[in-house]
Amino acid sequence: MNPPVPLGILEDKEEEHLATQVLGPSINSDNPQERIQARRLRIAARLEARRREALGEYLDGKKESEEDQSKSYKQKEESRLKLAKLLLYGTELVTNIQVATDIRETHRRVEEEELKRQRLEKLENEVKTSQDKFDDITAKWEESIHKKIPQELWEMLNSQQVHCAGLIEDKNKLISELQQELKIKDDQYVKDLKKQSEDICVLLERMEEQVKTVMKTFRQELNHIELLRQSFGPANLGVSALDLCVVGVGSWIPWDLPTPSGRKSPFPSRPQKAFEVERQELLSSNKKKWERALQAHNAKELEYLMNRLKKVEDYEKQLSKQRIWDSEEYNMIKIKLEQDVQILEQQLQQMKATYQLNQEKLEYNFQVLKKRDEESTMIRSQQKRKMNRLHDVLNNLRSKYAKQIKQFQEENQSLTSDYKRLVIQFKELQKAMRHFVLIDEEKFWDFWVMNEEEAKGLISKALDVDRIIHTQHLGLPWTAPDFWFLKNVGPLFQQQQKSATQILEEVLMQTEEEGSEEADQELESYLDLPKQVSASTTRKILMLLCDESGFLIESKLLSLLQPLEKSECYLLRLDAIFSALGIESEDDLYKLVNFFLKYRAQHLSSQEEEMMPALEPVPKGEEEEEKKEKEEEEEEEEESLEEEEAESLVEEEEASTSPRLIHPNDVLKILEAFVKGLKKPRDARAPVKLQKATRDNSKDSDYWKALATVIPRSRQNLWDGLYAALEKYHLVLMRRAELLQECNTLEQQNTELQQLLQKYLGSKINSELQVPPTQVLRISTKSS
Amino acid sequence: MSMQETLTTASTSPQAAGQPSSSGSKFTKSSPATWKSRGPNHGPNVRLMRRIIAEDAEWSLAIVPLLTDLCIRHIVKNFRNNPILTQLLPEHQQKVLRQLPPDLPLAVTANLIDDENYWHRCCEQRWPVCHLDCHGGSWKRLFFERHLENLIKHFIPDSTDPAVILDLLPLCRNYVRRIRVDQFLPPVQLRPLQHSGDQSDSGSEGEMEEPSMDHYQLGELVAGLSQLEELDLVYGIKDCGMNFEWNLFLFTYRDCQSLAATIKACHTLKVFRLTRSKVDDNKARILIRSLLDHPALEKLDLSHNCIGDRGARAAAKLLSHSRLRVLNLANNQVRAPGAQSLAHALAHNTNLLSLNLRLNCIEDEGGQALAHALQTNKCLTTLHLGGNELSEPTATLLSQVLSVNTTLTKINLSCNHIGPDGGKQLLEGMSDNKTLLEFDLRLSDVAQESEYLIGQALCANREEARQRGLNPSHFSAPLTAKGPENPVG
Repeated sequence: MNPPVPLGILEDKEEEHLATQVLGPSINSDNPQERIQARRLRIAARLEARRREALGEYLDGKKESEEDQSKSYKQKEESRLKLAKLLLYGTELVTNIQVATDIRETHRRVEEEELKRQRLEKLENEVKTSQDKFDDITAKWEESIHKKIPQELWEMLNSQQVHCAGLIEDKNKLISELQQELKIKDDQYVKDLKKQSEDICVLLERMEEQVKTVMKTFRQELNHIELLRQSFGPANLGVSALDLCVVGVGSWIPWDLPTPSGRKSPFPSRPQKAFEVERQELLSSNKKKWERALQAHNAKELEYLMNRLKKVEDYEKQLSKQRIWDSEEYNMIKIKLEQDVQILEQQLQQMKATYQLNQEKLEYNFQVLKKRDEESTMIRSQQKRKMNRLHDVLNNLRSKYAKQIKQFQEENQSLTSDYKRLVIQFKELQKAMRHFVLIDEEKFWDFWVMNEEEAKGLISKALDVDRIIHTQHLGLPWTAPDFWFLKNVGPLFQQQQKSATQILEEVLMQTEEEGSEEADQELESYLDLPKQVSASTTRKILMLLCDESGFLIESKLLSLLQPLEKSECYLLRLDAIFSALGIESEDDLYKLVNFFLKYRAQHLSSQEEEMMPALEPVPKGEEEEEKKEKEEEEEEEEESLEEEEAESLVEEEEASTSPRLIHPNDVLKILEAFVKGLKKPRDARAPVKLQKATRDNSKDSDYWKALATVIPRSRQNLWDGLYAALEKYHLVLMRRAELLQECNTLEQQNTELQQLLQKYLGSKINSELQVPPTQVLRISTKSS
Repeated sequence: MSMQETLTTASTSPQAAGQPSSSGSKFTKSSPATWKSRGPNHGPNVRLMRRIIAEDAEWSLAIVPLLTDLCIRHIVKNFRNNPILTQLLPEHQQKVLRQLPPDLPLAVTANLIDDENYWHRCCEQRWPVCHLDCHGGSWKRLFFERHLENLIKHFIPDSTDPAVILDLLPLCRNYVRRIRVDQFLPPVQLRPLQHSGDQSDSGSEGEMEEPSMDHYQLGELVAGLSQLEELDLVYGIKDCGMNFEWNLFLFTYRDCQSLAATIKACHTLKVFRLTRSKVDDNKARILIRSLLDHPALEKLDLSHNCIGDRGARAAAKLLSHSRLRVLNLANNQVRAPGAQSLAHALAHNTNLLSLNLRLNCIEDEGGQALAHALQTNKCLTTLHLGGNELSEPTATLLSQVLSVNTTLTKINLSCNHIGPDGGKQLLEGMSDNKTLLEFDLRLSDVAQESEYLIGQALCANREEARQRGLNPSHFSAPLTAKGPENPVG
């Protein structure tokens, strides 16, 4: 199958040359594009070759630089790269033909399609025109039927014939054209066939070439590696090189279709020989070694055998010696033992004798002991009797003891009851005292207010006077004096911070005496609890807190608290809890209670409404009780009426909510939240321990003194001076008044006198007189 | 016995000459072993062959031959009528096999003899060139496969007795794994000479063909072969010379249907090739429909046919309904719609490793669709789009694919109109790619510079792949893969 091309081993350039030659027909083909493609291919091939050289050199250079690596590895690597490159470019070279054919085929197809389209168009046109012509002719046939004159008919027929001939000619022309085309196609086909066969030839040549070069290079590389191997001698290198070689060749087998299988054999033969020689060398050396080892082994084996024989003899000797020795020993031992037996028999006799003696002795002893036993039984009975007696005594004492215990318990009970009674009494006393304190305070308040009112009246009077004096007498502007005490109503008292425990105490005390002293509660200081918080609520919350947060109390304290009364116990426990929580002041406590209430409000607001109607009877009963109490304490009734109502409302609420005030499980959560919230820095934690009942009256005297000195001393002096001056002024005025009166009287006299005078003057006597007084008077009056 | 053995060995192996004197009993055991082990190694060598003949002292020495030798000779002589082999001792079996003539009837030898040397001799006697590698390295398989192929090739429907082939079936059913037939003879015409005489008369030809142009039906044969894995068929005629007629190369509908039924029934089939057989859309669809959900099929080759878009669509459907790993539709008439449907199937396929669409006309639309599919595909390693009228837009998309895809190792875009700009874009795409090992851009109008640079990048990738050490000889793989294509082109 293979064309017998006598090509030697060509260099790359020559190959390229061959390739261009092979592509020659395509360059000379009538298709310009094909020619262009072919030229491009040629250029590409040349460039490729150049690049290959450059790349090869470059890679070689690079390889050489890696001098540090082992020479064998380098050689292998080099060979591998070279062979890979060779394979790659060889493949490319061979497949170039396929690619060229492909592109030719695609171009041909495109052209073919175009031609086909044109042909179809042409045929369609032709069909149309011919159809028209045919229609014309058939129409004329119709006409011809109507022709009667033979000449016309003949003419007509002639013309029809001409037309038909034209039509047929057209058709024939078309057919001949198509046949022409077909012929051209046939030629083309033949050409293509030729070209393809040429291509195949080229392909085969190239493949052959490739196989040869590849084989040559593989052989060369193998030789290189082989040389290296021989010089260095690591066996695995050679094997790997062989592998490489075999892999390379194996991959080339499909290319090498026609080559018989025997063809592979010559080229690995040389290295194989080398391997064989080496193997044989190895084999012989190994065999020598093996023989040497075997001989050594044999010698040793023999030696061991001899040793063993010797040892066996020795052991036999030893054994016989041992046997003799053993028998002698046996005899000796036998004699000895017999002697021993005799001695022992003698001893036995002796022992028997002593046994006899001992038996007698023991019998005697037995008798003696019997006697003693009797004596001891006697003594025992005596002792038993004594014991019974003592038991009786013991029982007596026990009963006495029990009696006494009972007695003491009774005593204790009575004492405790006394104590309780006393405590109750004490509490009542305290209550009474509180009551009296309150009353006293009230009285004190009344007195105070009364006095204050009086003083204030006086002061206002004085101030009015002062104002009048200033404005009217002195003509000065007056300003009202502004003193703090003027606005004060009621007795002075300072707000005292109560400690939480005190509040607690109060709360507990009061809530304990719940129903009876409702009124009292309202007067109590803990009314300054926030409005919505009632005592019982607080109490419940605190109880809950006490029950739930027992872990905050020290265990020692708990054990101490056990004998105490319930309320006291609660108090102390709460105290401990508060100290643990860091609650010290009243405010903190209220905060806590409020916190609880808020929490509850959040939780229960939705459910409250349902519960209200069901729980109404309970507060009503309470209200009735309250009313009774109100009758007893009529004087307080009016003032507390409104509060009462308010409280009843609160209590209603309380009653409705208290059964499930706060779920015990929530308490810890609330506490946690609260403690987190309370974590503000506290300053000066000195707890203000205040004595409860004593009012601070140190400022009272000051107050009253201040009230007394509303008008200052200077003002009083002013008033004194003014008083003296006014006195004097009064005197002057009095005198003046007198003088005015005198004057008036004098004037009156004067007028009376004048009247008299007139009368006298007017009397007729005057005329009778020589010198009438009137004249004189006139003159005098005139002159005056 | 021992005496003779020592005599023969003394003449053959000078190495062992020293040994018999040392320990006789050992040597008699060891000598046949060494002798036997040498036999197969140097079997073909003529010189050694002669030695073996010399060893069989019956001829050269005038001693009375041993009874065993006589028996063996007799067995060999009457093997045709009375085959006795399995009852013999292994060493005697070897002797018998060595002496058996290779022209024994297959009915005797087929299921009895497994010895490779015997079948080697049979093959060498019949065919001058044998490719053992193409038949799984087994001479027996080679013999039966080629024998069967020969029979099918020269089978003439209606005139040859079908029993000729079917008789062979029980003998070869366990050995034939591949059927590779590149010729199916049509039934003999009544007037073959007349036809060859007037070729221009095409009308009468058409009339004549119709009654029976069907070829040999493989159905029965394939159903009988339990080991069949590969079916490589070409419905055509070789060496017809000037007797060429179009109808000689006709793959009829009945052929197609029977073939479809055959491959559907063959559950062991792994490779199916039907090339150069004028398979058109309809036939391709019939074939592919029968291959849907095939349990074993891995490779489908329908190259060099006339499959169009509908056939391609059917192939696309097959992609999603089988475990196909290699699909070859080279040199068909697939256009853009067909390529689009293939791309659609490819986008979510996880089996296909290689797709060959060489010498179709998918153009840019199809190329773009394929490139889009490759952005999501994580399996395909080889893609051949040579000669598909692709141009720059496809190259743009492919360059994006190159930077994203990490499975593709081989792309072939030769014989397209990529153009210099497309080449530059592909170069950009290559700069981000570390897995591509081969990228063929020959004759695709790409600038020399960018082609060179792409080549450099590929070199780097190859070197890297080799460094990864998983597959140091990756050069050999592409070459063997391309091998079968070359004779076709």
